[in-house]
Amino acid sequence: MQDRRPAYFAWFILPSVFLAVALVASLASLFQYSFREYIPGSIKVGDFTLANFGRMGSWVYLRVFIDSLLLSACTAAANLILGYPLAYSLVRSKSSLLKSTILITTIVPMFTGDIVRTYSWLVVLGKNGFINGTLKAAGIIDTPLELLYTPLGVTVALVQYSLPVMVIILAAAISHIDVAYEKAAASLGAGPLRVFWNVTLPLTMPGILSGTVTIFAWTLSAFATPQLVGGGKVNMISNMVYQLGFSNFDFPFAAVLSMAALALIFAILGLMSLGMRRLERVGLH
Amino acid sequence: MMTDTISVSVEGAVKSFGGTPAVDGVSLKIRKGEFLTLLGPSGCGKTTLLNLIAGFLEPERGEIFIDGEAVTHVPPYRRSIGMVFQSYALFPHMTVAENVAFGLKMHKVPASEIGPRVAEALEMVRLPQMGPRTPRQLSGGQQQRVALARALVIKPSVILLDEPFSAIDKNLRADMQVELKRIQKRIGITTLFVTHDQSEALSLSDRIAVMSHGKIEQLSGPAELYRNPASSFVASFIGDINRMPCTVIGIEAGEVVLKANEHVLRLPKEHGAVDVLAAGSAALLFARPEELALVPAQGVEANLGEGVVDTHVYQGTHVDVYVRFGDGRAVRVRHPGFEALERFPAGTAVGVHANLAQAFVFPEK
Repeated sequence: MQDRRPAYFAWFILPSVFLAVALVASLASLFQYSFREYIPGSIKVGDFTLANFGRMGSWVYLRVFIDSLLLSACTAAANLILGYPLAYSLVRSKSSLLKSTILITTIVPMFTGDIVRTYSWLVVLGKNGFINGTLKAAGIIDTPLELLYTPLGVTVALVQYSLPVMVIILAAAISHIDVAYEKAAASLGAGPLRVFWNVTLPLTMPGILSGTVTIFAWTLSAFATPQLVGGGKVNMISNMVYQLGFSNFDFPFAAVLSMAALALIFAILGLMSLGMRRLERVGLH
Repeated sequence: MMTDTISVSVEGAVKSFGGTPAVDGVSLKIRKGEFLTLLGPSGCGKTTLLNLIAGFLEPERGEIFIDGEAVTHVPPYRRSIGMVFQSYALFPHMTVAENVAFGLKMHKVPASEIGPRVAEALEMVRLPQMGPRTPRQLSGGQQQRVALARALVIKPSVILLDEPFSAIDKNLRADMQVELKRIQKRIGITTLFVTHDQSEALSLSDRIAVMSHGKIEQLSGPAELYRNPASSFVASFIGDINRMPCTVIGIEAGEVVLKANEHVLRLPKEHGAVDVLAAGSAALLFARPEELALVPAQGVEANLGEGVVDTHVYQGTHVDVYVRFGDGRAVRVRHPGFEALERFPAGTAVGVHANLAQAFVFPEK
C-alpha cells in the first residue's frame, strides 16, 4: 500500500525550520568571528586572520579542556553508579511507595530553577554550611573542610543536576528488558548477583552507553554550576569562554574555543553512535 | 505418601494479589515422568501456581515439595527446575551454544563436560548445527527448541513450560507439540505444562488439572476429562458442548429423570453432579455435538424433541448442523462426512436424538 499523507503534513516541519535557521545563523556568526582579528579594548573585530587558532595550543587553555573532560567523566561515572540502582528499583520495585519516593527525590529537582538549586549547594557546602556545621557539631572535624570552590563540590552539584536525566534514560533501558530473561537465568541456577552481571547488565548496555555519553556531553557544556559553586577556582570550558568574551571582549578567541568544544562534543556523540551500532550487531536494541 | 514416585507436591497452597486469591488452597501431586497440564482461562491461577512451584512467588500458606524436599521458601536458583517461557527468553547477547551452556556454567559443571553436553542437547532438539548462531537468526520454533534444550541440559527434576507455543505460528505449533512429546517421553522428565488451549492440553498430557478461580476443578486423564467432566465449568471448557435447561423430576433406580424441551429423559446416575440435584430444581443438560443425531421428526428416537434445520457449518471431516427448536433455542449436531449438507437442507423439519449414556447434568448455578 502506498503511504499517502495529506499535503499539509509538510507544514508541520515549519517549527524545526525556524530552529534550524536560528541555530545555523548563530553558528555561522560564531564561525566567522573565529577568523577575525582581536582588537584589545574593543568590541569591534579586525580583519581575517588564522592567529586565533594558534593560541589554542597554549597550556592555559588546554588545561581547562582537560579539567572539563575529567570533571565530566567523574560526573558521568558518579551518575551511573548512583542512577543505575535508582532506575532499577524505579522500574522493578513492586512497592508503589518506593517508586514514588524515587521519582520525587530524583525528578523533582529538575523542576527547581538553576539558580535556586545552585545557591542551595552554596548553603550546603559552604565553610559554615550544613555539612561542615554538622561535622563540627559532631566533633569529627575542627577546621571546616574545603568543599565549596573545589572540583569535588562542583562535581557533587553537577551530579545532582544531571541525575534525573540519567535515571530517566536508564529506566527506559531497563523497562525494555523482559523480566523473562532474568527469570530464565534464575531458573538455570544463577543467583541475583550473577543474574545481574550476566544478563541484566549486558542487556542494559545500550542505555548505560547512551546515558553516560549524554551526561558526559551535557556536563561538558555546564556553565552556571561551575560558575557559582566553583567560584572562579574551578573553571570549565563555558566559564573560560564567558570570561574571554565578556571580560576581555576577546570574541574571536572565545569563538574559537566554542567551536573546539562543539567539535569535541560531536566527536563524543559520534563515538557513541559507533558503539551503539556495534551493540546492535550483537543483537541488542 | 510415596515420595519416590512423586516429583512435585503442592499442599494447600494459597497466594493472593491485593486481597484476591489467585491460587486458593491448591493441592497437587505430579508423578515422576508425568506430563501434567494446568489448563484454564486467563486469570484462573495456572501461571501463579507455576510461579509458586518455580519459586518466583512464595505462597502465603501451604507447602511445596520437589523430590520430597520442602522448597517453599527456597529461591528459584536453588530449585531443581528447568523453565521455558512463552517469549522464549533466549539471551540475545549470547550465541545459541552459550545460551545452552549458561545453566551448566551456573551449576559449575567442569568446562570439559560443557561442550559435549551442549552438543548433545542441541542434537536432541534437532538443531545440531545452530550452536554458533545468535537467537535472532533463528525462527520462533527454532528459538523455542533451543529454550527447551537450555532448560533440559541441566537435568532438572521437573521442567515447567509457561504457554510455550502460544507465540508460535499455528501451522508450526502441531510439529512443536509432537517434538515436545517425543523428547519428554524419551528422557522421561516430569513436565508441568501451562496452557489455555484445551486441544493442546488434550493432545499432550498424561493428566490435566482444569483450573478456575484459583482452584482445581478436575484432575484426570484427557479422555476421562472429555467423557466424564466433573462440573459444568469443565464440561463447557473442554471441547464443544450443547447446554440445555432442564428440570429435575427425581432420581430413581440408578437413573436421573429430568424434563428437557417437554421430553422426559433418563440419564445414568454417574453422569454429572447428581448428588446435589434436588427434585424440582432447575439444571443444565450437557451433550456433545457428536452425541446428538438427526432423526425423523415425530419419531420415537427424537428424545430431545423436534426442530428445524437452521444453518450448516462445514468443517471438512464433519458437518455441524444447527437445529432450532420451537422456543428459539438452537443445538449443534455433528455429522461425519458431508452428506448432512444434502440430506438436511435448511428448513427441514427434523428430530434430535441424544445418546443419554454420554450426556451430563449439572445444577444451573
